[in-house]
Amino acid sequence: MHLQYIPMLFAQMTTPDDIAREAARLQRNYEWLSVGLWIAWVILVIYVLFMVSRGRKLKREIASLKVMLEDRQK
Amino acid sequence: MNEKSAWGDYILYALGTVAIVILVRDINVIARLPNEAQQGAIFKIIFFHVPVAFVAMTAAAVALIASVLFLITRNFRYDALAVAVTEVGLAFLAANLVTGSIWGHVIWGQWWAWDARLTSALVCWILYAAYLMLRRAVEEPTQRATFAAVWSIFSFIDVPIVIFSIKWWRTQHPQPVFWGGGSFPHDWLVIWLWNILAMMLLGAVMTVVRVRQEDAQRELDSLRRTVHAM
Repeated sequence: MHLQYIPMLFAQMTTPDDIAREAARLQRNYEWLSVGLWIAWVILVIYVLFMVSRGRKLKREIASLKVMLEDRQK
Repeated sequence: MNEKSAWGDYILYALGTVAIVILVRDINVIARLPNEAQQGAIFKIIFFHVPVAFVAMTAAAVALIASVLFLITRNFRYDALAVAVTEVGLAFLAANLVTGSIWGHVIWGQWWAWDARLTSALVCWILYAAYLMLRRAVEEPTQRATFAAVWSIFSFIDVPIVIFSIKWWRTQHPQPVFWGGGSFPHDWLVIWLWNILAMMLLGAVMTVVRVRQEDAQRELDSLRRTVHAM
């Protein structure tokens, strides 16, 4: 893998069209990188929210059953 | 809530917070790294794509061990661990597939290729999703845990295929950076390893939370039986 800074990339360009094409490619890459990271994080956050909601539902059901048991035992 | 459980919660939340802090810090550092010469900025998706795959594959291995231990001991704690880690692994594998697909779209010009690596990873996701569906289909707890454990062991057959497919066959998916003879600059490697650590930590915290929910579910089932018996 070779790392170079963007100015060096531009320095190798010969025509204004090349530079414009490369700038567009870099911009598109940034956009897709952002989209990818956002979607991946959204998947994980949705799963965490799903887990939190399930946890709350379980706690609620356990509490209501305990109340019901106490009532029946009286 | 007893004192021990409260401390457990504090430690769990602290670990989760540490993982999030590391990841946020890394996103900031990664954004300032120079672009890769051939692929440009999109290459930086490797800092997320590979760590989530690590978590997913580790989760599959833990599920295998927990399933085997359940079949040997019949201890439901292992069943709880297997379902928890499978669910978490599935979420991470979904993130891996999505980031990989976006990477492929930019570099290959196509969202998906039916090559050995991508197909085996998708099959892996489907197998573990089927594991969760199987659990919903069986009512009786012991039977459910047994069937699920056997399915989990069967599903793990696909995991080495996912990992080694790029070595065994010619694939559209490239060779891994390290394992394929490549290398990272040192600063990239450090951030990448931190990201793997943070993702692993996040996965572990999510698994512990999910295991606790399985415990709560068992308590709920037991309470329901008691109420019905009265």
